[in-house]
Amino acid sequence: MRILIVEDEPDLLASLAQALREEGYAVDTAANGDDGFFNAEGTDYDAIVLDVMLPGLDGWEILRRLRKTKSTPVLMLTARDQTRDRVKGLDSGADDYLVKPFDLQELFARLRAIIRRGVNKTTNVIEIGGLRVDTATRIVSLGNQPVELTAREYSLVEFLALHRGAVVTRTQLYEHLFDENESSLSNLLDVHVSNVRKKLGADLIVTRRGHGYCIE
Amino acid sequence: MIPQSIKWRLQLWYGLILVAVLVGFGVTAYQLERGRQMRRLDDELHHRLGILGIAMHRPPPGMEAGAPLFDHPHRDEPPDQEPPFQDDRHSPDNRHSPAFHLPLETAHLFDATDPNGFFFRIESTFDHQVIAHSTNEPAFAAAVIKSGASRVETSLPPGPRPFKPQIVGQDYFTMDVRPSGEAILVGCSLAPELAELRKTALNLTAIGGLILLVGLAGGWWLVGRALRPISEISSTAAKISAGDLSQRINAAETESELGQLAAVLNSTFARLDTAFAQQKQFAADAAHELRTPVSVILAQTQTALARERDAAAYKQTVEACQRAAQRMRRLIESLLELARFDAGQEVLQRRTLNLAQTAADCLEMVQPLAAERRVKLLSDLQPVSVTGDPARLAQVVTNLLTNAIQFNRTDGEVHLRLATQAGLAVLEISDTGNGIAPADLPHLFERFYRADKSRTGAGNSGLGLAICQAIVQAHGGTIEASSVEKSGAKFIVRLPLAA
Repeated sequence: MRILIVEDEPDLLASLAQALREEGYAVDTAANGDDGFFNAEGTDYDAIVLDVMLPGLDGWEILRRLRKTKSTPVLMLTARDQTRDRVKGLDSGADDYLVKPFDLQELFARLRAIIRRGVNKTTNVIEIGGLRVDTATRIVSLGNQPVELTAREYSLVEFLALHRGAVVTRTQLYEHLFDENESSLSNLLDVHVSNVRKKLGADLIVTRRGHGYCIE
Repeated sequence: MIPQSIKWRLQLWYGLILVAVLVGFGVTAYQLERGRQMRRLDDELHHRLGILGIAMHRPPPGMEAGAPLFDHPHRDEPPDQEPPFQDDRHSPDNRHSPAFHLPLETAHLFDATDPNGFFFRIESTFDHQVIAHSTNEPAFAAAVIKSGASRVETSLPPGPRPFKPQIVGQDYFTMDVRPSGEAILVGCSLAPELAELRKTALNLTAIGGLILLVGLAGGWWLVGRALRPISEISSTAAKISAGDLSQRINAAETESELGQLAAVLNSTFARLDTAFAQQKQFAADAAHELRTPVSVILAQTQTALARERDAAAYKQTVEACQRAAQRMRRLIESLLELARFDAGQEVLQRRTLNLAQTAADCLEMVQPLAAERRVKLLSDLQPVSVTGDPARLAQVVTNLLTNAIQFNRTDGEVHLRLATQAGLAVLEISDTGNGIAPADLPHLFERFYRADKSRTGAGNSGLGLAICQAIVQAHGGTIEASSVEKSGAKFIVRLPLAA
């Protein structure tokens, strides 16, 4: 899962980025509205955390422009807590709205919720045969036995499970599992796939040669 | 007992005064009418007295023309009817009485057949013999004439005698004693006059009552109309006191006193409303400003505590928290400062100082910042002495200079001029930055207003210019901003000179 954070307060931006990375997300950051819009439009993020008060383009303007081309889930962050501000945020196309100051746990939960809704899932648990992926606790179990996965391995399984039945290209996987600062070594993905196959069974992830991967 | 409502009290007083005036008028009118009636009766009685007196001195008709001594006034009446006047001189005991003859042309003045007609009685004062009397005389006439005759002076010249007309029962009479020795009493019944006066009194009462009713009704309507705006004012004020500050009194008649009151109250309500709205906005803005540093602290600490970290990571977190706390401290200090100015609790030193020296000190203080931003500071300071708080005035100059440096372009200039103009100390600070958008100019000194929305960073609370304005105003001065877009902003502070 790859997320963009647009926030102009440097200390807040740094801690949010760190916290989300530790949650297993690939995180890109932008400190002003112009950079934020450039990133949001150029990359298929799984979700965007967008501050309202920004230098350059403000949050509303970014949202308005982004909605012309993309339906990326957006969580607005703002210090305004009046009802009309919340209504304005949701009416402008924001998927959710969080008022500062907030607890990180709430931010994580809301992010999970808008990402889930983005792929039309209503619960945190995805079950495929004997495989069970809990996106809230980030635990994967096979026949009721929890399986130890690294953060990146979990993200791979989660992404393929969320897009079950669809062929996911390597480019897509790179875009959603790695942030802009990571060098996308071409065989890194293959290493993760083979590790997951060792842990969860060889036939879970099907390779469509020349296309990508798929969980059926 | 006295009603508390103004409407009722006004009505009560109004009614009482109206009743007093009407009663006064009615009584006066009644008295005038009564006096007029009595004077008319007096005249009639005296007229008849005169006629009877003249009749006394006519020679007896029998000696002149052989006619009967007393002629019936109505010759064509049936003979069996009793004559209205009895001439008692034919009776044996009246032989020595003077002759009496009532002329025919005046006989109708004493119509004995009319129950309300005039009556008379003539007696001799010497022997109290009745000379003549009308048949309709009341019973008291005989007694009254005897006692009255003795009291009437006979020595007075002929004419009305000082015998005051009197009323006995329903009869009114007067009398006269002739020098020749006859007492003449003339009277009449007052019944028709009394009846007429009663009618007059009834009419007056009816008219008075009608006027009173109309007056009371008119007064009630007028008082109600005059007081209606008061009830409107009070109902509006009640709504406002219940919390709805947007209510206004519907003041249609702005000409009347109450209309003016309503207008004054409305403007007061409007100012209250504005003040409340500003206070609410200020509180919301202050809360808003505190939200960002608090979210920094929450996010930093929750991230740090999520797992074990090394010392460097903890240090970073603590430093970020410190920055957030410093920002909150600055904000709180600014808020308290403004609150003190608002409450008039800020105690300013009052001493005479050279503003040029203060400005020069400030220039020196911001020099490092200017150097960092590569902004050139230029000054033209003439000695000007003002009365005020040196630290506070320095705060204003430093704040304006800092703004001028921060919003300047690289290699820009900041000009600081100080001079005396029109009896005021004028301090001018201009920069070569991007200037201020015309839309922002009117709001520049509002609390938390930021012309540049991006400058929400740690150093900028959005209160600096508001505090500058509060300080300058506390010194009796003014502060204003002007700008030419793209070529810089200019702030002008005017302060009164030291006395």
